[in-house]
Amino acid sequence: MKKLGTALIVAVPIVLFARALWLVFAAPAEPPFDWRLHMSQAEHDAIVATLNHLYTRAAYTITWAIQLGYAAWLCVRWQSQERKSPRKLSA
Amino acid sequence: MKKLAIGLYLLVTAALLGWAYNQAIYVAPNDAAQGEMFRIIYYHVPSFAVCFIFFALSLLGSIGFLALRHNHPDRAQIADALALAGAEVGVVFCSVGLTTGPLWGRRAWGMWWTWDARLTTTLVLWLIYVSYLLLRRFAAGPQMQTLAAVLGIFGALDVPIVYMANRWWRTQHPAPVFGGGQDSGMDPTMVGALLWNMLAWFLWGVLILAFRFRVERRQQKIDAEEAEQALNA
Repeated sequence: MKKLGTALIVAVPIVLFARALWLVFAAPAEPPFDWRLHMSQAEHDAIVATLNHLYTRAAYTITWAIQLGYAAWLCVRWQSQERKSPRKLSA
Repeated sequence: MKKLAIGLYLLVTAALLGWAYNQAIYVAPNDAAQGEMFRIIYYHVPSFAVCFIFFALSLLGSIGFLALRHNHPDRAQIADALALAGAEVGVVFCSVGLTTGPLWGRRAWGMWWTWDARLTTTLVLWLIYVSYLLLRRFAAGPQMQTLAAVLGIFGALDVPIVYMANRWWRTQHPAPVFGGGQDSGMDPTMVGALLWNMLAWFLWGVLILAFRFRVERRQQKIDAEEAEQALNA
């Protein structure tokens, strides 16, 4: 049960980090510099809005990935201290 | 009783983080110029605000260690643990700021990074504290804590430079939102979301700082015990 808990707190930030990367790198291509030659204003605005949305979500996701990743690392370190020397810590 | 207090604090922090997220994403309006992307500010700015507070705490811990190390070695160890915890948690928050910033910059400026004064001094700050942590991790011997404390003090000197960079120099980074002159400021409907996020991330920061401090104090006890055993063997 404890191992499952540890695996979960380590897996969550990894998944979040992967998701943040995916949000950025799987985003649609930015409109080209001469976009007026290729698309309407409405199409351009739709792409920009989508990109803004994806980048905002990526920023929020990466924040949680870093914070939870650090918290997970602290939990793992805490557990390893307990495993290494339970006698010393209880004293 | 202690466990109850910790559980309560954890609950309040989690609730506040949820509330602050709700304020940032659903309550605060879109920015007129930047649209939805402006919402990155609600995580970007609090991260740096909390980071500066913890680097200041690390500075106090470092000064405390240097002042107490000869006459009060036990208290010096507490100060050293505080300095380390402050620096490490500060680096975590600084990393968040340095990651969310380029994501925002990519959409707002069309580039991930630029070597302007604000961004460069922030990167230098991050590098100084990462080198502090590397020193603590890999250096050995009785002078390690003293060297780290000195580095921690010098690292903290960069904090006011980072803060003032976009006041002292012309930067790509926007001018300060608060206290930046006549045209600075934020719409009142956005200020609430920013302040809620600052409070929530500060509480979260204190929580992980306390946890990191506790881990370090335990490590100090383990190291002292091992050293004693080695001497007695």
